[in-house]
Amino acid sequence: MSRIGVFICHCGENIGRTVDCEAVTEALKDHPGVAFTEDYKYMCSDPGQQLVKKAIEDNDLTGVVVAACSPHMHEKTFRRACDQAGLNKYMCEMANIREHCSWIHEDRGEATEKAVDITRTIVEKVKHNQPLESIHIPVTKRALVIGGGIAGIQAALDIADGGHEVVLVEKEASIGGHMSQLSETFPTLDCSQCILTPRMVEAYQHPNIKLHTWSEVEKVDGYIGNFTVKIRKKARSVNEDLCNGCGDCQEACPAKRIPSEFEAGLGNRTAIYVPFPQAVPNIPVLDRQNCTLFKGRRKGLAKDACGKCKEACLKDAIDYDAEDTFIEEEIGAIVVATGFQLYSIGREQPEGLKGYGEYGYGEVPDVIDGLQFERLASASGPTAGAILRPSDGKEPKTVVFVHCVGSRDSEKGISYCSKICCMYNAKHAMLYKHKVHDGRAVAFYMDIRAAGKGYDEFSRRAIEEDGAEYIRGRVSRIFRDGDVVKVWGYDTLSQEQVVIDADMVVLATAMRPQDGVRELAQKLSVSTDEHGFINEAHPKLRPVETNTAGVFVAGACQAPRDIPDAVAMASATGAKVLSLFSADELEREPAVAIVNENTCIGCMNCAKVCAYGAIEQREICTVDGHVCGHVAYVNPGVCQGCGTCQAVCLSKSVELQTFTDEQIFSEINALCYWE
Amino acid sequence: MSDAVDTSGAAADGFEPRITAFVCNWCTYTGADLAGTSRLHMASNVRIIRLPCTGRIDPLFIVKSFERGADGVIVSGCHPADCHYTSGNYHARRRFAVFHDLMEFVGVDPRRMTFSWVSASEGAKWRDVVDEAVANVRALGPFEAYRALAPEDAGVAAPAGARVEAEAS
Amino acid sequence: MSEVREVARKLLTDGTVRVIVGWEDARRGARPVFVTDPADTERLIFDTRCVHNLVTYLNPRRDNVAELGKIGLVVKGCDAKAVAGLLREAQLTRDDVVLIGVRCGGVLEEAELPKAASLSPENVAPRCYGCDNREPELVDHLLGESQPEPPRPVMTIDERVAALDAQPLEERWAFWTEQFSKCVRCYACRQVCPLCVCERCVAEKSRPQWIEAPPHPRGNLSWNITRALHLAGRCVDCGECERFCPVGIPLSLVNRKLQHIVAERYGYTVSDDPESPAPIGDYRLDDKQEFIK
Ligand SMILES: Cc1cc2nc3c(=O)[nH]c(=O)nc-3n(C[C@H](O)[C@H](O)[C@H](O)COP(=O)(O)OP(=O)(O)OC[C@H]3O[C@@H](n4cnc5c(N)ncnc54)[C@H](O)[C@@H]3O)c2cc1C
Ligand code: SF4
Ligand code: SF4
Ligand code: SF4
Ligand code: SF4
Ligand code: SF4
Repeated sequence: MSRIGVFICHCGENIGRTVDCEAVTEALKDHPGVAFTEDYKYMCSDPGQQLVKKAIEDNDLTGVVVAACSPHMHEKTFRRACDQAGLNKYMCEMANIREHCSWIHEDRGEATEKAVDITRTIVEKVKHNQPLESIHIPVTKRALVIGGGIAGIQAALDIADGGHEVVLVEKEASIGGHMSQLSETFPTLDCSQCILTPRMVEAYQHPNIKLHTWSEVEKVDGYIGNFTVKIRKKARSVNEDLCNGCGDCQEACPAKRIPSEFEAGLGNRTAIYVPFPQAVPNIPVLDRQNCTLFKGRRKGLAKDACGKCKEACLKDAIDYDAEDTFIEEEIGAIVVATGFQLYSIGREQPEGLKGYGEYGYGEVPDVIDGLQFERLASASGPTAGAILRPSDGKEPKTVVFVHCVGSRDSEKGISYCSKICCMYNAKHAMLYKHKVHDGRAVAFYMDIRAAGKGYDEFSRRAIEEDGAEYIRGRVSRIFRDGDVVKVWGYDTLSQEQVVIDADMVVLATAMRPQDGVRELAQKLSVSTDEHGFINEAHPKLRPVETNTAGVFVAGACQAPRDIPDAVAMASATGAKVLSLFSADELEREPAVAIVNENTCIGCMNCAKVCAYGAIEQREICTVDGHVCGHVAYVNPGVCQGCGTCQAVCLSKSVELQTFTDEQIFSEINALCYWE
Repeated sequence: MSDAVDTSGAAADGFEPRITAFVCNWCTYTGADLAGTSRLHMASNVRIIRLPCTGRIDPLFIVKSFERGADGVIVSGCHPADCHYTSGNYHARRRFAVFHDLMEFVGVDPRRMTFSWVSASEGAKWRDVVDEAVANVRALGPFEAYRALAPEDAGVAAPAGARVEAEAS
Repeated sequence: MSEVREVARKLLTDGTVRVIVGWEDARRGARPVFVTDPADTERLIFDTRCVHNLVTYLNPRRDNVAELGKIGLVVKGCDAKAVAGLLREAQLTRDDVVLIGVRCGGVLEEAELPKAASLSPENVAPRCYGCDNREPELVDHLLGESQPEPPRPVMTIDERVAALDAQPLEERWAFWTEQFSKCVRCYACRQVCPLCVCERCVAEKSRPQWIEAPPHPRGNLSWNITRALHLAGRCVDCGECERFCPVGIPLSLVNRKLQHIVAERYGYTVSDDPESPAPIGDYRLDDKQEFIK
């Protein structure tokens, strides 16, 4: 039999004015299971809490109901008081007779009657409360960062500086991401390499950072604080321990005309290569697809067709027979920072995207995208910073910049704004005018979106100081006409057709998530939006968390982001990870779901609705140990306590602690109105 | 206090509807708190049962409420996209859409069941939802039709408290 | 139905399955039969009397059937949907069973089972009209000739549902409470349903007892509402529940109503594709919410 104490608070006059607290006390006094009642002016005050504690001790109370304000206000207070008095804190609940009663009603009779109902309902609930203990989860204090762009680098550095080990996994041969390809960066026009390279080196040399380039995440098991991550180190064919980065192999490689990814196809590289001079680590990879030796092996040649790089390497670091290797890391938290790719707008498109065949990209050599322009403008680029058009190497005198190519055009598959293009277009127009003084820069735009510190000023400068011509309107067609690139557009302000004979056209193509994020997201059990960007846990309040506890997200893999955004997000994930690592154990409220294995039939409908992936299938065995079926299992480390699983379970085989069926059933019954 | 126990079963004059509200902790419960802090006066006929999430709310709660004599119910939680647990309300929305349509098919007046999204900042909306639900159910009268289904020997025991009250008066 | 016999014999002979579950001739129409001896496959039939949804024997509640060994099961289109339902809910793996599908042109109504064989508007099982899966895809073998569409029954289920929909609320309430008040809580509807897979049905749960156990109108209403809801988006319209209900409650009307609801709201029709997610447990951001304030 329960021995429940009911404590009715007057809250000064706040409750007492409309609710007859003595009457409530009187009504509850003889309620079955109630062993003690008391009303008091301020229950939350020190003497009030003392009163509760003393009553628990004196009357051996098994449960406490405080009829007062909202549980959001003082549940913690009274649970703590109970705890101090030796009563399990989950045996204490609040009946909200202030916000939900005295403050919203005028009639004293009605309010008193309702307060009795509310209190009685909670008493009936508490009869079914269970003493619960907090859940403790050990935390492995090592972080995994996936993606070594600026976001990943920043997150890794912050966590490493906080004193914890970081495993940084980058799928390319070097870290740096897209920022390493940029020339100068808005809004300050500082050189991208100059600000990025020191960070890359710092990450590489940091004693707490373990870098795996040319690597990918193969498999992720476990949950917050306790992930096991399998990493595939793709065969580099160059022994990272032996190589000293001298570059002799590249010199020796005969396959020299492979389009360089780093130069966005505007320059060439060898088959064994470091992607760019400042690469970190400065260790080449052998591109087996394009290597003469491997081409020969694929053809089945008896004798290797090449081998020049191996001959050239004085350290004997090159191993043609290297294979992918796997390593496993124990990890406590994961930061996803896989960045973006540009919408390649040619005719060939993945499902759902239509491309922009009418813009001639991929067909007209002087129609390029933003990253290619970055390379043309970069001092370390293929033209050493001179703006020369790809077809004939001439300096273009008229350059057209087209905004929103692919973005904000749901017809063609992408509805969102890529956010950065307005800014980099302005930057490009500016850089061009700085380099080609007599040149003409024309931009076609839909709207100018330059929200950000110094951003509007920046884009105005392109127009007002550098004389870029901005035409509001869309471009309908771009094609080659002899030596010029014809741009057909429409000026929506003057309502006129515009035709421009350009020498070069730069398309600001949409930012899209990286290939393979959906697969990665699946491994991490995080969700992606319809476009493939990683979903944050809450769009406003939890922007860098995902719906999988312990997995965070930073940079352009979450949505189009510029560098300051990406870095801010990265540091935010750093703070989240560090706070997670600040204790040896994670303490969690025991308000989690528990499966009744005796009745669960393993239909896994519960798992389908759990937004946190907290529910997994578990085999059950007979006494003699052979598997005889499966049931659902809720991982208490992951469950957030929403109870959605319980409502979806047909056979009522899963129970959410603190809101069990019995508790709610009793509450409903307590509101029984008739006989 | 006991007369509510008496009148609710009685004829419609002086009828005070009894309504049970199932609300989520994060949005509607907090919205109702805000209505309180803002001193927004509303009808006193609604009793709230707090759940973590609309995702936790089972149609059985509603069926049981009607069985036990409720004249109406309210189910309320976070607006779409605002669910504290990201998607509990989306699951609830489907569950209750189907339930709503089925109940209507079975002949329950849908005005006895109010479904709403009330955010933590919508104290005033909560008041409106409450007042409207009460007005609707008041107009419909007591849910005698459901009560008439009770077994003759009235299998339900009154909650201990109600009985005590009745005796006390 | 020589094809069914042949395939069954082969499956038993080469040891692919240990038992074939199909239909055989009986006095009152057809009846389920378990064949373990290849010689007995001669008993197997398939015609318009084969109304039973044999998938109920795959239901994990019936462990004793599984104990016979790997099953070969003869299925109509509606039955195949039930198999998909079990697969969807991890109650079965595809390798547990060999499905012998039969092209189906509809079956007879219960009362007509002993006699007629060809279908007419008067004798056809109403649910067969408009069936979208008369040639099941999920199966391992698809047998029989292509069949004509079942005739339109005198009154279709949709028409009956529409007639109810057209009535005022009070009349619907009167209709259903009267129907449900007949329920004797035998739970035959549940026992025979291939998708009522629960080892302990919610109706049997105590502490708390959501559904009052004694057969009185109030508990019956809870039970029937709950049963219907539990089958929302899962029911394959095999008609077994109604066929087995000893007191003749028109369960197919409730089931059909729920099919309409999920179809109208979520564009969902139950299929024999186990990969297509069920509507409850899934959601779309823009699901209809006109009933929500
Ligand atoms: C033309 C152009 C000009 C720009 N100019 C500016 C500018 O002037 N100023 C500014 O602020 N911003 C600018 N930006 C935006 C800037 O490039 C991005 O904000 C920034 O690069 C985002 O950093 P990130 O780390 O999120 O992504 P990324 O730079 O894309 O880095 C992601 C990294 O993750 C790696 N990766 C991807 N998938 C995996 C995987 N599965 N496993 C392991 N590693 C993986 C990638 O290889 C890459 O190294 C510009 C962008 C473009 C396209
Ligand atoms: S929904 Fe219920 S029966 Fe199905 S797996 Fe989950 S707990 Fe078990
Ligand atoms: S209570 Fe919510 S978070 Fe926990 S297992 Fe169930 S659905 Fe997942
Ligand atoms: S078969 Fe009919 S009588 Fe039996 S429980 Fe089901 S509805 Fe009731
Ligand atoms: S509810 Fe009835 S019609 Fe539907 S699958 Fe079950 S037995 Fe068949
Ligand atoms: S009625 Fe519901 S709980 Fe009962 S067996 Fe069927 S699906 Fe399971």
